[in-house]
Amino acid sequence: MTETYETLNDMTVAQLRDIVRARKIVGYARKTKDLTIKAILAAGDGPSMTKPAVSCVTKPGLTHTQKLAETAAAKPPTPVTAAQFKMSSVLTKPSAKVGDKTTTTIQVSCGANSADFPVEGKTVGAVQEFLKEVLNIDRLAEGQVAGASVETSYVLKAGDVLEFIKPAGSKG
Amino acid sequence: MKIVIIGLGGVGSILCDNLSRYLNYSDIDASVSLIDGDFYESRNGERQTFTRLGDKASVKCTELIHKFPKVSFQDFNEFVNEDNISSLITENSIVFICVDNHVSRKVISDHCQTLNNITVISGGNEYTDGNAQLYKREDGKNVTASLSEYHPEIEYPEDQSPEDMSCEELSHSEPQLLFTNLTVATIMCWMFYAVHKEKDVTKHAEVYFDITSMATLAKTRNSKN
Repeated sequence: MTETYETLNDMTVAQLRDIVRARKIVGYARKTKDLTIKAILAAGDGPSMTKPAVSCVTKPGLTHTQKLAETAAAKPPTPVTAAQFKMSSVLTKPSAKVGDKTTTTIQVSCGANSADFPVEGKTVGAVQEFLKEVLNIDRLAEGQVAGASVETSYVLKAGDVLEFIKPAGSKG
Repeated sequence: MKIVIIGLGGVGSILCDNLSRYLNYSDIDASVSLIDGDFYESRNGERQTFTRLGDKASVKCTELIHKFPKVSFQDFNEFVNEDNISSLITENSIVFICVDNHVSRKVISDHCQTLNNITVISGGNEYTDGNAQLYKREDGKNVTASLSEYHPEIEYPEDQSPEDMSCEELSHSEPQLLFTNLTVATIMCWMFYAVHKEKDVTKHAEVYFDITSMATLAKTRNSKN
């Protein structure tokens, strides 16, 4: 018997829930009638639902790894023509336990503004450009590591403390 | 204790009121020199604490003498320059620089580096941020960096001394915020307290603040000389 939305809609909610339980459709025992019908149709590949773009044929007795190997053999990998990725940096607490630190951070300050940033391996010039708005760094501010002036090409390493010297206030 | 306060504008007028109160009610035998060649005018009222118009140093000196009789006050109605600096700042003084230009800071800084024992507390601000510096010299050696060592803008000032400015230039000043002046004066008082209580000041020789981000940050300023 072909199930349609209409035939299922004629059933009671209790009957629909029996079907859901019998077909082991998880998570629909307490949903609304409409959602339950749609779930039944989807699970039974009913005529009113759109088929998934890629059908997944399961073969009993195969492990997940074997299924993946079979799929890979059937479809040769497409060469990667371009890659897109997004990098994000997460600040870590300097006072956190060693195991909780996810990245090495370096304290960077300018005037009263200071924070720890994952800038190990970056040059002072790159950090100045990157943080100029965050820390309000003047274009001509001199970079100092541990109190000694450094060139903009200096590469920051773990344990460095970088300060961009903010000019002294002139008014009073 | 010889105290010299140079500049009685937005920072200096607030500072000398509170510092004098502290001195008057402490066991310190203090003499305070008030130095400023400027006049107090009604337009200064939004940031400066004077009870009447006139020479800033004289007016403030009269006020403080009446309020704090245990402290000795002297007024000098003049701007600091290379000619009078050696007579105004002598050995073993604590100098508060509250001026509004780097030329004067440079003159004072250079002179103090020729003395054997001197403490200089200098403050300055822009509209909402600023800093205070503490320069200490003992037995002819720098304990902390001089004012200009980390600040080329003080070593090579591009502004003008008030003595070199016309009346029009003097009357035209950039807007300042009372709260920013107040913060500078407060941090300078923190520094004085640390010096007075003989705390280790080397790790707090420069303090920055920003009232918009409500932040202060103390910095070590070791002398390279």
